[in-house]
Amino acid sequence: MRIGTLKESYIADAALFDSRTQKTWLAIGAALLLLFPFVASDYWLYLACLVAINVASASGLNILTGYTGLVSLGQAAFMGLGAYTVAILETRLGTHFLLNLLAGGTVAMLGGLIVGIPSLRVKGLYLAIATIAASFITHFLFANLKLTGGTTGLSVPPAQFFGLPLDTSFRLYWVIVPVMLLMVLGAANLFRTRVGRAFIAIRDRDISAEVLGIPLLRYKLLSFGLSSFYAGVAGGLWAYFFRVVTPESFPLLMSIFFLAAIIVGGMGSILGGILGAIFMTMVPELLKLIVDLLPGGTEMTVFLSPVRTVVFGLLIVGFLVFEPHGLAEVWRRTRRFFHLWPFRN
Amino acid sequence: MHKTLQPSLRRRALVLAASAALAAPFAAQAQSNEDIVIGGSIPMTGVFAFAGVGINAGMADYVKMVNDAGGIKGRKLRYVPEDTGYKVDVSVAAYKKITSQNKVNLYYGDSTGFAKTINPELDRSGQILMAGASFATELNDPAKFPNQFLVGPDYTEQIGILLKHIAKEKPGAKVAFVYSDSEFGRDPIEASEAAAKKLGLTVPVKLMTPAGSVDVSTEVIKLRRAAPDYTIFHGYILAPIPEFVQQGKQMGMTSKWMGTFWTMDSSTVMKMGEGADGFMGVMPYRYYYDTSAKAPMLDKIRALRPEYQSTAYTQGFLTAMLFTEAAKRTLEAGKPLDGKNLKAALNTIKDFDTGGLIGTPITISGNSIPVGRVYKADMKAQKMVPASDWINLSK
Repeated sequence: MRIGTLKESYIADAALFDSRTQKTWLAIGAALLLLFPFVASDYWLYLACLVAINVASASGLNILTGYTGLVSLGQAAFMGLGAYTVAILETRLGTHFLLNLLAGGTVAMLGGLIVGIPSLRVKGLYLAIATIAASFITHFLFANLKLTGGTTGLSVPPAQFFGLPLDTSFRLYWVIVPVMLLMVLGAANLFRTRVGRAFIAIRDRDISAEVLGIPLLRYKLLSFGLSSFYAGVAGGLWAYFFRVVTPESFPLLMSIFFLAAIIVGGMGSILGGILGAIFMTMVPELLKLIVDLLPGGTEMTVFLSPVRTVVFGLLIVGFLVFEPHGLAEVWRRTRRFFHLWPFRN
Repeated sequence: MHKTLQPSLRRRALVLAASAALAAPFAAQAQSNEDIVIGGSIPMTGVFAFAGVGINAGMADYVKMVNDAGGIKGRKLRYVPEDTGYKVDVSVAAYKKITSQNKVNLYYGDSTGFAKTINPELDRSGQILMAGASFATELNDPAKFPNQFLVGPDYTEQIGILLKHIAKEKPGAKVAFVYSDSEFGRDPIEASEAAAKKLGLTVPVKLMTPAGSVDVSTEVIKLRRAAPDYTIFHGYILAPIPEFVQQGKQMGMTSKWMGTFWTMDSSTVMKMGEGADGFMGVMPYRYYYDTSAKAPMLDKIRALRPEYQSTAYTQGFLTAMLFTEAAKRTLEAGKPLDGKNLKAALNTIKDFDTGGLIGTPITISGNSIPVGRVYKADMKAQKMVPASDWINLSK
């Protein structure tokens, strides 16, 4: 049961983690994350890294779509910009990987600022269509520039950390997961600041926000910039993780994947972005594990593979119908239940 | 304290060493009786499922045949496939899953993207020899891809086979290339243009269409203006080839139309309709129903599966056969089954009889098998019929 969470100051009220129970669970979570690489197989480590990259990118999109209300289908393109920047810097200059990741984020941010300009005139579906242009333009550039290696793309050497090549999921875990955590923490903190609250005001009604004195131009572009910075860094991590970047690595479908992730997870909620990315990445794999448990061997796999895809689709639709606020709401309800447990249920 | 500890430590070390020595022969025995594992990232769903299902069946059938005959030197083959949906990240997940649950020796990859992505991992682990669904020219480089090979000619070699046929049939002919704007489509074009010139052929036009385009009327007009004797399509499965052929014929074009491996399955070509009668293309393997020569392995397949099996099936079947051959040769040489030894064994394959799957003995000296034959569609019989003899580019 949760008791004694009386707040005596505004700072305490706005704190990200406000109760001892929460902090205890966070500590347990952190310990599990630290322990995980030592007990998990290469397969689970791979999935953990992939989930972390997707969480980072989904959190970025959540800033833009979930909190500022600007629908974007350009997230994959921005990830591509980040990935290519990292690949080019790593192969040509061999600069430190953290610097490359920052550069990747910055280049993607610049791309985001340009793509964000139409957001001042168009909203909703119209903006989504305008951002699709980003996908096509970046794809064209990646496939036709010499710098990006044409359709063959670029092979990325492993990131080096004091001479140690980060070439396995185990080693990359120690980069990808902390960077992701830092980014998620940054996003969570953003909405305790003036900037974050301005984003929310714009989402709720942009005209009123302007009347309140929020310059729409600056804040909408800032949201685009921040979101694409997140995508760029996630793309950079992607480049180090997969070690090959081609124009076909970041299709439009990937942008839809991230949009679906934040919708399923819960728009306008940091936890939603995290849960959505985990759901979208892990559920197909978990469904595979379930299929593996069924008897029948290879023949059954062939038969059940399409069924699995249909089940995944139905699960997404099911969530949208029965829990439109996403997985984050399910989580909140579960937590609320335990607040007064066992006295009321 | 120190003095009392040391002898006990030494004793423990001795016990450990003794038990290790005792256990060693058992370990070696376990090793020698271990299954030989063929892992597979197989696209059973997604855009490439039409081929993936066939590949899977082909691999599984050959593995069963080998096991029914007693395995390789007493060791059984075990085929562990996993669906990928033809997505690179899922494909890598499948690889990681299969390799962390099994000691994998051989692997089938589903795409060029996967082959390139997993290559550093193959080099790092050094335990696995891989082949797959990709015929990308880039992979045909033993220095860059030492643990991989292609089960047939790469895309440039496929067009090379067509060009060789054209040069023989009509010296000095005009050949047009129509290809998709993708890695797959652009792959062989530059090298093939040079190869055409070398053979005394001319390339009046190269047309690149967006991947998945349907309306190609402007491209057909450009093609007609160039009046080629032959038009080679690459980088597509089916669309927009039928549109090109139909509109071209309506405009009075006399060009012969040709395709490469992934277009050339019998069922795909037959979908082009009556208008595509005479459509030609390169095929590294004999079609399921081709009885023009003796093919004992095809007879076995026909007995096992009386209904038509796609060329993707044959590709999977042949891949498993070459995997088995490489493993057999490695074991016969008394070497452990790792990537380097398996590849070296594969490269000893010389004038190898595939039981008629490929109509000529094959030699694998590098990363590809540069052999194929030109087949032609006979729409009335609903079959592909040979239009050339087997062409070997290495000869």
